[in-house]
Amino acid sequence: MPEQFSDHSKFFELWRPVLESGEFTLGPFVEKFEKRFASYIGSKYCIATNNGTDALILSLRALGIGPGDEVITPCNSFYATSGAIVAVGAKPVFTDVDDRYQIDVLEIESLITEKTKAILPVHWAGASPDMSLLKKIGEKHNLKIIEDACMAIGGKVNGKSPGSFSDIAAYSMHPLKSLNVAGDGGMVVTDNKDLYQWMRKYRNHGMSHRDVIDFWGANMRIQPLQAVVADYFLDHVDSFVKVRNENANYLDNLLSNLDPLVKSPPRIQQNLETFSLYMLLVQSRDELLAYLLSNGVEAKVHYPIPLHLQPASKEMGLNSRLLPVAEQQAKELITIPIHQYINKSHMDLVSELIHKFYKDEV
Amino acid sequence: MPYSVPYVDFGPTTRSSKVELTTAFERVLDSGKFVLGSEVKNFEKVFAAYCETEYAAGVANGTCSLHIVFRALGIGSGDEIITAPNSFIATAAAIAQVGATPVFVDTDFDFNIDPSLIEDAITPRTKAIVPVHLTGRVAKMNEINSIAKKHGLLVVEDSAQSVGATYHGKKAGSFGDAASFSFHPLKNLHAFGDAGIITSNRIEVINELNVIKNHGLTDRSTCSQWGLNCRLDEMQAAFLSVQLPQLDDWTEQRRKIAHYYNDALSKVVVTPLEENHEKHVYQTYVLRSERRDELKEFLNRNGVEAIIHYPVPIHLQPAAGYLNYKQGDFPIVETLAKEILSLPLYPGMPREFQDQVVSLILKFFGSK
Repeated sequence: MPEQFSDHSKFFELWRPVLESGEFTLGPFVEKFEKRFASYIGSKYCIATNNGTDALILSLRALGIGPGDEVITPCNSFYATSGAIVAVGAKPVFTDVDDRYQIDVLEIESLITEKTKAILPVHWAGASPDMSLLKKIGEKHNLKIIEDACMAIGGKVNGKSPGSFSDIAAYSMHPLKSLNVAGDGGMVVTDNKDLYQWMRKYRNHGMSHRDVIDFWGANMRIQPLQAVVADYFLDHVDSFVKVRNENANYLDNLLSNLDPLVKSPPRIQQNLETFSLYMLLVQSRDELLAYLLSNGVEAKVHYPIPLHLQPASKEMGLNSRLLPVAEQQAKELITIPIHQYINKSHMDLVSELIHKFYKDEV
Repeated sequence: MPYSVPYVDFGPTTRSSKVELTTAFERVLDSGKFVLGSEVKNFEKVFAAYCETEYAAGVANGTCSLHIVFRALGIGSGDEIITAPNSFIATAAAIAQVGATPVFVDTDFDFNIDPSLIEDAITPRTKAIVPVHLTGRVAKMNEINSIAKKHGLLVVEDSAQSVGATYHGKKAGSFGDAASFSFHPLKNLHAFGDAGIITSNRIEVINELNVIKNHGLTDRSTCSQWGLNCRLDEMQAAFLSVQLPQLDDWTEQRRKIAHYYNDALSKVVVTPLEENHEKHVYQTYVLRSERRDELKEFLNRNGVEAIIHYPVPIHLQPAAGYLNYKQGDFPIVETLAKEILSLPLYPGMPREFQDQVVSLILKFFGSK
């Protein structure tokens, strides 16, 4: 979305103090963003990282999750969610999903074994699973909850921010997220001081001090140049999300008469979705996708092959259970762009094209 | 504490390329493409050419670069990797990240791994040697490569501190199965944040790295292995493309200052070594003195930001406790750790600052 960065001088002004100060490794610009983001979410602490994947890995490591452990997670997320679980040496245990594309919370208990350490639910596409039910399950079985809130910055679940329902939550600021930077970025939030202090060290090579390395860490530092971009857009994310919601509602209405050829998921009134992805379930998905692309609409599929059916899963034997809802959705899902730089006339065009497609088809 | 002679100042090198840097910024902002685009591809090409290697893969920093190189080379749990304990912690930490065990070997007084000690450290579990080209001086690669060849071991150069350095005319990063570079702000070639790159002549290694660093994706919908996000930002790649053509000039400036320090200080401290067959790039100017601690304190107190890289070697760090090393295991590294001190040195460093450093050091030794 080049529009987002079209005002070059604004970004130069944001970057100037960083360049002039030479603070390219953590420092005051990062700290400022971390404080503001923690406050925005309603959490005590925030650690900014180089990207959302590192944020997930950092969260898992902070909770001591590693080889021999199992983590329950949905099968339809982006590769990084399960990739992070594997990166720390643990095993993803995949659940199926519900009609809002979210982790099937009711399935979780049947998947718990003595090796299960945590549940890693995803606020997929910027909508959310039933967080209070998830919390209950976590408490009942003494499991940690790590929220993958990468797509849900600016969202609300019953008035609370995604990422504030758990021990620890990870976010991404990849360019396609509701709060994004000009490259990769991410963060972790937590209310737990011990976890926070451990993560601060781990993110920076495990150093408690320049000359003292407490444990092997990594380099997961956010770029200060990106932290200032994030800090700037933090003041805009609510309005971005508002526009996305308006666009989503508008398109939902325009397409409602095409049900059941085109179905949008149930929307929960007390929640505020971010619509990081606006996804529909459609008949003849592949043909509709090709049709939209050839007419200049950058539609996509998130994703045609769910995680448990990927070669990476097969190699690890993670594909043993059938997950029929997700597998069927994978055949029918289509993502339509409705971000804040899309306007009504764009959506009118999209709606016309979709209507035309089904009219010609039938 | 604000120093009158700081360890580094990015001002001179940034100001001189302000126009080009601004153009680079604008180009990336206009493109709207911030992840894995033409800037990264272009920089990978020019950097590989600079290092006289065939290929390069841009990465997020010099630590995850080592991690994914080890992974791409099939190094993992149960394997041993031979390296020196006086490097920056990242070398050993990356070995631990893939589940392998660092096996330390002492250095020589060139600060680099002593090849004559390597064979005694080889066991049936040894998979690779990771020489670190510390401070900007290439390790003895002819001997290291021949040992590796004899024992069927991989060689991964940790070149984080030695971009542009040469050994018998060959560039750092062109000797091993692969090499890892860092463009951290304190490196001779630096980005405006964290960045790194891996060079290799082995296409299958580079291809594997490009998959691992991008979530294991061979295409948008196919995850062939669980990967990581270890990508080089388009923005940083664009800056690095502006910086790279200036590197040799900056290196010459560094060498000039280093030689000035050498000439002025060789009677009172041990100045860094350099031999005829190599080009030391002086990422760090490291002197040795038995009165290091007092000298450092004296310099700091008088406004000169002298730093130690590093006072506690890796084998004596809490993180390495489980490896059961102790004081006395690596006499040269341990001696060096007590004696080394890095002086401020950077392209564009004013002559008055250099003079101040020199005169303070001479004063320190003269007054005793």
